[in-house]
Amino acid sequence: MKTLQKLPLYLLSAGVFAFASCESDDPVIENDGELITDVTLHFTELDEAGNPTGPAMTFTAYDSEGIEVGTAPTVETVNLASGKSYLLEIEVANSIENEDITEEILEESDEHQFYFLGSAFVGTTAPLTYSYNDDNGELIGVKGTVMVVESPATNNAQIRIILRHDLDKNYPGADNPNFENYNSAGGESDLDITFPLVIE
Amino acid sequence: MKKIKLVLLFLCGLANLSFGQDCNLAIRGKVIHLENNESIPGAYIWIEEIKNGAITDLDGNFQIWNLCPGTYTIKIQYLGHQDITETIELKSNSFNKTYRMEDSALDLDGVEVHGHKDAVQTTSTVSALYGEGLLEARGENLGESLKRISGVTSFSTGNSISKPVIHGLHSNRIMILNNGVRLEGQQWGAEHAPEIDPFLADEITVVKGAETVRFGPEAMGGVILVNPGELPTKKDGKTDLYLLGATNGRMGNLSITHENGSEKIQGLGYRIQGSVKRAGNIQSPDYYQSNTGLSEMNFSGTIGYTRAKLGTELYFSHFNTELGILTDSHTGNLSDLEAIIENGRPFSDGEFTYDILNPKQKVSHNLLKLKSHYHINPHWKANIQYGYQANHRREFDKRRGDLNEKASLDLELYTNTLDLFVDHTHENALSGTWGFNLIQQANSNVPGTGVTPLIPNYDMLNAGAYMMEKYSKGPFEVEIGARFDYRTVATARFVDNELEERDLSYQNFTAFLGAYYQISPSLTFSTNLGSAWRPPNVNELFSQGLHHGAAAVEIGDPDLDSEKSLKWVNTLEFSGNQTSFELTGYANRIADYIYLNPTGEVYVSLRGTFNVYEYLQADAFLYGFDFSGSHQFTNRLSAYVKGSIIRAKNLDTESYFPFIPSDRMDWGVAYKIGQEGNSHKFTVSNQLVARQKREPDFDLAPAPAGYALVNFNYLKQFPIGENKMNVGLQISNLFNTSYKEYMNRFRYFTDDIGRNITLKLNYQF
Repeated sequence: MKTLQKLPLYLLSAGVFAFASCESDDPVIENDGELITDVTLHFTELDEAGNPTGPAMTFTAYDSEGIEVGTAPTVETVNLASGKSYLLEIEVANSIENEDITEEILEESDEHQFYFLGSAFVGTTAPLTYSYNDDNGELIGVKGTVMVVESPATNNAQIRIILRHDLDKNYPGADNPNFENYNSAGGESDLDITFPLVIE
Repeated sequence: MKKIKLVLLFLCGLANLSFGQDCNLAIRGKVIHLENNESIPGAYIWIEEIKNGAITDLDGNFQIWNLCPGTYTIKIQYLGHQDITETIELKSNSFNKTYRMEDSALDLDGVEVHGHKDAVQTTSTVSALYGEGLLEARGENLGESLKRISGVTSFSTGNSISKPVIHGLHSNRIMILNNGVRLEGQQWGAEHAPEIDPFLADEITVVKGAETVRFGPEAMGGVILVNPGELPTKKDGKTDLYLLGATNGRMGNLSITHENGSEKIQGLGYRIQGSVKRAGNIQSPDYYQSNTGLSEMNFSGTIGYTRAKLGTELYFSHFNTELGILTDSHTGNLSDLEAIIENGRPFSDGEFTYDILNPKQKVSHNLLKLKSHYHINPHWKANIQYGYQANHRREFDKRRGDLNEKASLDLELYTNTLDLFVDHTHENALSGTWGFNLIQQANSNVPGTGVTPLIPNYDMLNAGAYMMEKYSKGPFEVEIGARFDYRTVATARFVDNELEERDLSYQNFTAFLGAYYQISPSLTFSTNLGSAWRPPNVNELFSQGLHHGAAAVEIGDPDLDSEKSLKWVNTLEFSGNQTSFELTGYANRIADYIYLNPTGEVYVSLRGTFNVYEYLQADAFLYGFDFSGSHQFTNRLSAYVKGSIIRAKNLDTESYFPFIPSDRMDWGVAYKIGQEGNSHKFTVSNQLVARQKREPDFDLAPAPAGYALVNFNYLKQFPIGENKMNVGLQISNLFNTSYKEYMNRFRYFTDDIGRNITLKLNYQF
């Protein structure tokens, strides 16, 4: 009974102890592993037999701060020649973490797919045609073929490249690289970049 | 030691009137001294069956309303007098009697001790969910349950995340108390549901006034008290078992509560309680909503010891949930978001599964409370309460590879609360509370998420001192109170690899004035004018980054001021023999109301574009009405109606705030056969919700159309031997109507839940 009567006192001291011992941790710099800072398009000309010839032309879109609030991305203009075919390889990287994200995309090839839209690929006068040509035959878009028409209706167009994550690849139409209703196959966009295109 | 019969009993509010009940009988009486026929003011009347009571007024009169026909045990207690216990039968007429109390000097038998039940005594408008009303709400989360109270709606994110809204305010502008301790979770997020299991309560009370003085900063729109029942003080074991199953989401829910008292040690009692819940993808009328399952496991325990002068209680509660977030709601960028909004529903039909995938949330909350009080003398009581809370919130997004296993938001929040206060009551009807309150909080981002934290780490300390006094005279009561708070917040985070530290402080004075008048035995009026304040939240101050679900970049402002409000709430309450009604009108003027405003700019990244929002402040004016009423046509047939209307304007821009509930009402007819304890009750109700016509200038999609739902409810109560059994069958959205609710953030992506049939079994033994 006596002990119990002192309970408020014990409570108070327990409380004071707890108050004194509870502090927030020091903040830690987080490495944004998910971040994409660089997207590079490698175009290598294909000869008549379909074999790559000559050095690759590279065009890059980069945003040193990734998706955080900050500067807008810098996107280079893609220059291609009319009537020619190219091998297009896409490289995705996180330069802050020095991480090759292309590898991660290939590891999860069943969950990722690139789509090629914009006036360069969509519409009756679209100057470019894309076909998937990935190593294992799966439709991903890390590797593909781009054909430029002989006499384009316009010299300027937009290449819009979208990387979808967690989509249903069996959705009707999802195998079309120019699938405009890509949203209906589910998933979300990891990349959505528009490169200006000039055809010479 | 001279043995005195000492009775410690704390009454739960003056009159907790529920809604939609077809019971409106009353017990009235007068309590006088046996020797000289003088009236006894301040005697306690307790009706065991309804766990409610009253205090006699200066003339010794008391009334208890809203009783159903049945048998009641009336217990009358007054210091120094022998208890009177009487069992009466209420049929179709109300009961009226005068009781004479005998001095207990003649009775020297043992000391009797009663359990404690702390409850809020306020002149503000109070509504409660208990008994049959709470039984109907079992199986729902807190936000959903409270929608049964007029003036309370919910702000939800899908079907499993639901935050209560009182008179248009939610999140950090209202307060939730878990058994008397202010719940401190990550309430700032729209998709952060309150971390509490409604099964631990035997009564959930909503105070609709500004209650900053009593409960501290943030209690601006109102307070929700989730209270377990009184602890037993004698050996009298009771077990309450609930078993629930629902068709939509194939939900299963089990809850068990057991309480008992010690035979050897008088005044020692305990209660243990636990619940588990599992549900899969829920179904809208035309499709399944992918990844909307949930899994919940909660338990709590209380042990209490009550002696004549001292009462001590130790309470612990654990809440643990894992819930899926609708797959389609998680968009990569603005164009994804626009595509699904234009589609108006998920792109795929989904299928049923119990699996919970990313995006998902895992939240646990532990709460420990130690409370003690000591009666210094019959007039003064000293109280100490200490609360410790640990909240751990993890949110998982759809990411690449191993990152899927890592939470992208991982927050640990620790809170200590200390309350020291004294209560005093006197024969001259003056009573009051003086107190001191300390809140200390530490929030840390757990490293290793691979995502720059949305909010900084911080330490917060809040100290407040307050006093409240109430004077009662006959049918009139007046109450005043004042409080001063001081708060410091120290934050730390890295911005572009540089440590940024901020020290902020806030202080405020708040006060209230309230009155309660019993115009006649059946009509009362209450009015309360109270000021309140809320310091800006850490997310409002420092958010800087992408909010994935909303495809939005949110930018905080470290220079935000505290919100200051003045709320006036008035209630007229009538309870006659057959009819009862309640009408509440309120006005709430908030200076420097903080809100998230679209800047109209977009932020462009390699991932796509995002809308940019910033936190701004403006003066706000909210006003509205709640009403509820019921009428008993015959012994068997009754009807009820309830509804609410609210208006909220941004006075600076002359526009409307987003996510303010639209006008709504609910009415129904009930038919009851049998007597109390052995009855069948059928209720058909109709819920009508108007379209929100007062939309903000910017919204991702226009407000959805109004809707009407029909619900059916059957409740059978019957005894099994000495025990009590309740069987309930509820069908909500009977006609499987497709609809969208403006207050649901997922209205952009999907229809609301379709038909749901719930079977409830409750056995009390």
